[in-house]
Amino acid sequence: MIRKFGNAAAGAAVFGSVALLPSYPVAQEAEGIFQTPQRPSLNFYGTTGLIDMPSAQMMPDGQVAVGVSNFGGTTRTTLTFQATPRIQASFRYSGIKDANFSAFDTYRDRSFDVRFLLNRESRYLPALTLGLQDFAGTGIYAGEFIAATKAFSNARIPGTVTTTVGLGWGRLGSSGSIGTPFGEDRPAFVAGDSGGELSIDQWFRGNAAPFAGVEWQINDKWGLKAEYSSDAYTLETANGSFDRKSRFNFGAEYQVSDGVRLGGYYLYGSEIGLNVQVQLNPNRPAAPLRIPAPQPYFIRPSRLEDPQSYSTDWVKSEAEASVLVRDAIMPLLAAEGLTLIETRTTASTTEVRFSNERYGSTSIAVGRVARIMARLLPDSVETFRIVPVVNNLAQSAIVMRRSDLEALEFSPDVVDASLAVTGFDSASPVLRGSARNEELFPSFNWSIGPYLSQSLFDPNEPIRIDAGVQLSLAYAPAPGWKVAGRLQHRLTGNIADNARPSTSALPAVRTNARLYADNSDTSIRELYASRQWKAAPDIYTRVSAGYLERMFGGVSAEMLWKPVASRLALGVEANYVKQRSFDTYLGFQDYTIATGHASAYYEFNNGFTGQLDVGRYLAGDVGATVSLEREFDNGWRVGGFFTLTDVSSEDFGEGSFDKGISMTIPLNWFLGKPTPQSGSRTIRPIQRDGGARLSVPGRLYEQVRSGHREELVGNWSGVWE
Amino acid sequence: MINVVSRLFAAVVLCALLVGCSISSDSKATESLPAQIVTAGQGLIAARRAPPPQTVVATRALLAKITEPVLQINPEAAGGSDFLRRAVSRRDSSTGTVEVWNSSVLAQVFLRNGVVVGTRGVGGDIIAADANMTILALRSRADRSGQRVYTISDGDATSTEYVFRCTVRSLGQENIIVAEQLFATTHMQENCTGGPSGDATIRNDYWVQPSNDVVRRSRQWVGPTTGYFELILLRD
Repeated sequence: MIRKFGNAAAGAAVFGSVALLPSYPVAQEAEGIFQTPQRPSLNFYGTTGLIDMPSAQMMPDGQVAVGVSNFGGTTRTTLTFQATPRIQASFRYSGIKDANFSAFDTYRDRSFDVRFLLNRESRYLPALTLGLQDFAGTGIYAGEFIAATKAFSNARIPGTVTTTVGLGWGRLGSSGSIGTPFGEDRPAFVAGDSGGELSIDQWFRGNAAPFAGVEWQINDKWGLKAEYSSDAYTLETANGSFDRKSRFNFGAEYQVSDGVRLGGYYLYGSEIGLNVQVQLNPNRPAAPLRIPAPQPYFIRPSRLEDPQSYSTDWVKSEAEASVLVRDAIMPLLAAEGLTLIETRTTASTTEVRFSNERYGSTSIAVGRVARIMARLLPDSVETFRIVPVVNNLAQSAIVMRRSDLEALEFSPDVVDASLAVTGFDSASPVLRGSARNEELFPSFNWSIGPYLSQSLFDPNEPIRIDAGVQLSLAYAPAPGWKVAGRLQHRLTGNIADNARPSTSALPAVRTNARLYADNSDTSIRELYASRQWKAAPDIYTRVSAGYLERMFGGVSAEMLWKPVASRLALGVEANYVKQRSFDTYLGFQDYTIATGHASAYYEFNNGFTGQLDVGRYLAGDVGATVSLEREFDNGWRVGGFFTLTDVSSEDFGEGSFDKGISMTIPLNWFLGKPTPQSGSRTIRPIQRDGGARLSVPGRLYEQVRSGHREELVGNWSGVWE
Repeated sequence: MINVVSRLFAAVVLCALLVGCSISSDSKATESLPAQIVTAGQGLIAARRAPPPQTVVATRALLAKITEPVLQINPEAAGGSDFLRRAVSRRDSSTGTVEVWNSSVLAQVFLRNGVVVGTRGVGGDIIAADANMTILALRSRADRSGQRVYTISDGDATSTEYVFRCTVRSLGQENIIVAEQLFATTHMQENCTGGPSGDATIRNDYWVQPSNDVVRRSRQWVGPTTGYFELILLRD
């Protein structure tokens, strides 16, 4: 009764195969029929602007930009993110050479900017933006501005002319001042200040000066810029970095490709400058995803025409039928890169539990399973329960009616219509009476390969890298159980050369990284046993013990409540850990700590996810971490976080409190072929001991969420890919 | 002995670092992330440098050898030709008959009375499309206008709906040659304006046989990533 598919492979070419498709996907539009989106150029601060001055322009929503600029001994590297259509945020790392005003040869600094679009450009009114530059760092670039920008195009002049006028304070008000409209009391920049705190007391204080500029984008490739700068470069000129002879800057820019723009400039009457601008949009994959087309499924005859085909005789007993379905469906799932875990069937309902090792989006996997079920199962089965499972955690039950799948396959509104008739239920912790895939346990996996680790922002050497080989081992004796280890051997690198010792007033829970790197070339990064399971349909649990991370070992327990269709999740985690010895073998030091958090997670309906963790951190400080992340449906994430604890900013040291940004990029965005892998990075301006959390492998929230309603709905068209 | 071990170790390390490969228990050596990106980049460059594949012109002699329905597709941007087999032909609640054509490279094209309403496995696929107005115009060979909606994959698991205002016009009788056979057809042209900023234009051409309403040949838009396909129905 179960259908067999001997000839499932796609039809062989009749005349010998010639490619229907390019062998590699090309990101550019073949016909260019959709115009390139608006893409304002960047300034030397890596934010939208003229040359050294800002403009009121915003990038397209979600755009990510990286700018690297150099002139007069100053290099600035900036990451800018258009967080919402009206809010732009930047993180910058800059260096000023031969800085005799600081203790280091090259003065290096990190700074954050934020801008708010007050008025969108319209036919008659210009765009109006309020900006805070270096609003929380040590303040070397501290400046505030309000700017207006208007674009003009005219049939007589090719291209577009964009003009900007603005008023700046702080650094942006240091030359050509017109007075101090909001008070004079602006503190001066102090090199070596610990920084980090919002400098609210100085915003818009002190001298204000106007700036202006014009950009002429002649054609798709070339643009010219000229500006009147209100930055006196007091610090740099006093330092002898360069001579500021003029307030006028000029430049030409060339758009090399869709994402890359190069500029050459003549600045302040004495300097030649360069600017490399890279922009990309997470919503536009670098290579479009191409996955093999699915096999079309059959349409069952109507029950009136052929009542015989709806016979339930094939179910002699449910156990037997489940085994029948299991054996038939396993190879079909495997062909799609999916692994059957278990299945249970009645004459009318079949539940399939599977894990996905191929697709970045669970929705694609769900679509493939649904199609396989519609092709394979006897006609009497009408209800499909599709359950994605991640490491023994059944995420959700996606319930589809087979007749809906049959009716909608080629419908013009298949995406919305199929979503409307799909149910999202919680999956029971265990599927009683199922036919299990017996080949899964015990399983043993290993891999050996290269690793790279970085240490950023050391004032003497901004990027330090270690490279070597690592061996990963994982043994799973039964569902949910895992014994895993990772061994690294360093071959080369300079992380250990960092000469700065820990000067922390707190227990050195994180600032001893150099000692860990220095003490041994071979290290056991992790070695632990864990078990995770569902305690109830909406409750997920994990217990881990062992060497949980490089610096700490101990026990950890976590519980998470996350209903399938809920935007809110709540969790608690408790750990008792001991600091590991610097050689990262099996020894421990004396420091022990009980640390843990209560967490609330919320998926806002505009693509943002927020997380609040309240608890005790590794150094024994008590406080809370706030994280906010913009999450794109395709898996891109850009976010930021900060932690405030009962540690004073003096005790915390440089930076005053823990904060940072994080970014995750799915690999298939680059490659165009399906893979669940992604690259993720968290960047802290500085890592201190306050507000430090234990880094436990396998926290529950991210494991659970990929198969829940919110994530699936955002990618629902993947079901039909 | 130690020497041998250390040399072996060095070889593994060198392989790992230079080639970027990592060896794992998943039987096949999996490429590391940078290596995958490099491979993809190399492929892209090679694909750009290579001359576009030749378009095949079907002959009557070749056609005589086949007995099942065959659709030839010539992708304009990518070059080359492929010959597709019909996997499914089915009526549903929308106008016309849907056909799924399987290519030799795990891709599919969905046609509704000869009008493209979907692609799979091509990249930037048309997930779904509304062809009602076009089908009615082709069937009656009369001028008609209306809205067409394409749901097109963004190149990940999300999609965007593109709305176009379209007009189909008859350009009169034209004789076309397919596999050295002459077909008397009516040339119908569909011009559409719309898209994300409302000013994108696309144009589809159909050569319809008046005797049986079959679209013998067409040139149709299959999305912003792929551009245009020429579709020739060699045997129906």
